[in-house]
Amino acid sequence: MSARRVATRWRATARSEWIKLWSVRSVPAVLEAALVVVVVGGFVLGAGYRSGWASLSPADQASFDPTFTSLRGVELAQLFVGALGVLAVTGEYATGLIRTTLAATPQRAQLFAVKALVLGAVVWALCTAAAFAAFALGQSQFTGPAPHASLGGPGVLRAVAGGGLFLTGVALLGLALGALTRSTPLGLAAFFGVLLVLPLVVGLLPSGVGDRIGPYLPGEAGSQLWHVRPPSPESLGPWQGAGLFALYVAAAGAAALVLLRRRDV
Amino acid sequence: MRENVTLSRRARAVLASEWIKISSLRSLRVTGLGALLFGVALAFLVCAGYHARWHALGVARQAAFQPVDTNLGFLQIAPLLFGVLGALVVTSEYGTGQIRGTFAATPQRPLVLAAKAVLVGGLGLVLSLVTVAGAFLVGQAQLAGAAPHASLGTPGAAGAVLGGALYLTLTALSGLLVGVLVRSTAVAVSTLAGVFLVLPVLVDSLPKGVVWRHTVPYLPSDLGLSLWHSRVDLLVRPLPAGLLFAGYVLVLGAAGLALLRVRDA
Repeated sequence: MSARRVATRWRATARSEWIKLWSVRSVPAVLEAALVVVVVGGFVLGAGYRSGWASLSPADQASFDPTFTSLRGVELAQLFVGALGVLAVTGEYATGLIRTTLAATPQRAQLFAVKALVLGAVVWALCTAAAFAAFALGQSQFTGPAPHASLGGPGVLRAVAGGGLFLTGVALLGLALGALTRSTPLGLAAFFGVLLVLPLVVGLLPSGVGDRIGPYLPGEAGSQLWHVRPPSPESLGPWQGAGLFALYVAAAGAAALVLLRRRDV
Repeated sequence: MRENVTLSRRARAVLASEWIKISSLRSLRVTGLGALLFGVALAFLVCAGYHARWHALGVARQAAFQPVDTNLGFLQIAPLLFGVLGALVVTSEYGTGQIRGTFAATPQRPLVLAAKAVLVGGLGLVLSLVTVAGAFLVGQAQLAGAAPHASLGTPGAAGAVLGGALYLTLTALSGLLVGVLVRSTAVAVSTLAGVFLVLPVLVDSLPKGVVWRHTVPYLPSDLGLSLWHSRVDLLVRPLPAGLLFAGYVLVLGAAGLALLRVRDA
């Protein structure tokens, strides 16, 4: 097959994935919710620290990370972008649209790659913009005694850009889990289990056990990308953590791809 | 209303049909059983962990150890499961389109919502009592021997168990009403996870200044903490906390009712 025909097919698949993504009623709403919590979170947390700065203990003041604090809305937004990733696949299975999709593009690996690219690009562009806005809003609150960060500071630009990158990875993890489970409730349960429940469970375990497992959990490893100061001595470095998180996402994606190629729809 | 169909007769019929729908929903059974097993198993795991590592904990951690708080730590996660349980009662009907049949059979929509709330409240109370009491007994049996432990007769222990069960019942009702408001399982689950699991982690690190003391203790998760945790010096007292949470549920119910009456099914 000529290169031109291949390119045409990729373009056509990308266009159809784009149309499908935006024609689901809940998608714009979920994306808006994610952006709002990132930006508003930066402002609210910034204002909270400014008003209560004097009541922080000296140790907490010394370890304060203004960049991370202004980006913590990401922790809420990950729920929305992850659910979006799950729904991007399971919605098609629920309506039966997936049969049409695969009839139109029988190259399932290509379809899965384009789906991931379209979702990833949308989430990355919007969430990166939101992370920069949250950073600016948050830093505008840190006046007076609370230290504030600027994009030129060591690791700051990486952390702010990392907020958008992390959310992109979370969306892709949701996509992979959706493709693995093919059902909205199961996909959501798997996603929330891995990203939310697992760290809380590990946190309940006695110290010594929890501290050893904690840094290697997907969410904890990935979140190092948008920390400027490591939250604990056991934490992985930003790129180590991001690499481990990317490995988890890639493993889930590979498993989903294998099953997508083998299973009937 | 025709004369021969009295309100009580209609209410009985609606309750019966809602009961049939609830008891035939597999996802509900899975979630309910999952919540019970999760609570008891996590309490077992955590308490067995503390029992095994008690002597390696160090004097400071041993002195700060609270057997009941540690045992009931799963109450930081269980609200998600109970909330989903409540949400599924209504979102599953929107998912399948069954809701149109429901409202065609009973156009009195407030009556339908009331019947659902009665069943969710009753089932939630039974399930949460069994879960919390079971987790308490299993956990304390694990702690016995090495670590300090409590019995139901220990001051505050029975209150914590009852408070935890009340908290979970109220979260199940909140889940039902959030489901009525958003009409989608995915959005309901994400919202519940945000409110009950992520928000408490976000606000916990904020400086405990004036703003914190007038806002954070009134979040649903912190009201829940007031109900079952012993460290409530900065939080609302248990009785007002329970009443306030019940007030939230009533407000949600009023909002759900208003939307239910004007929206298409």
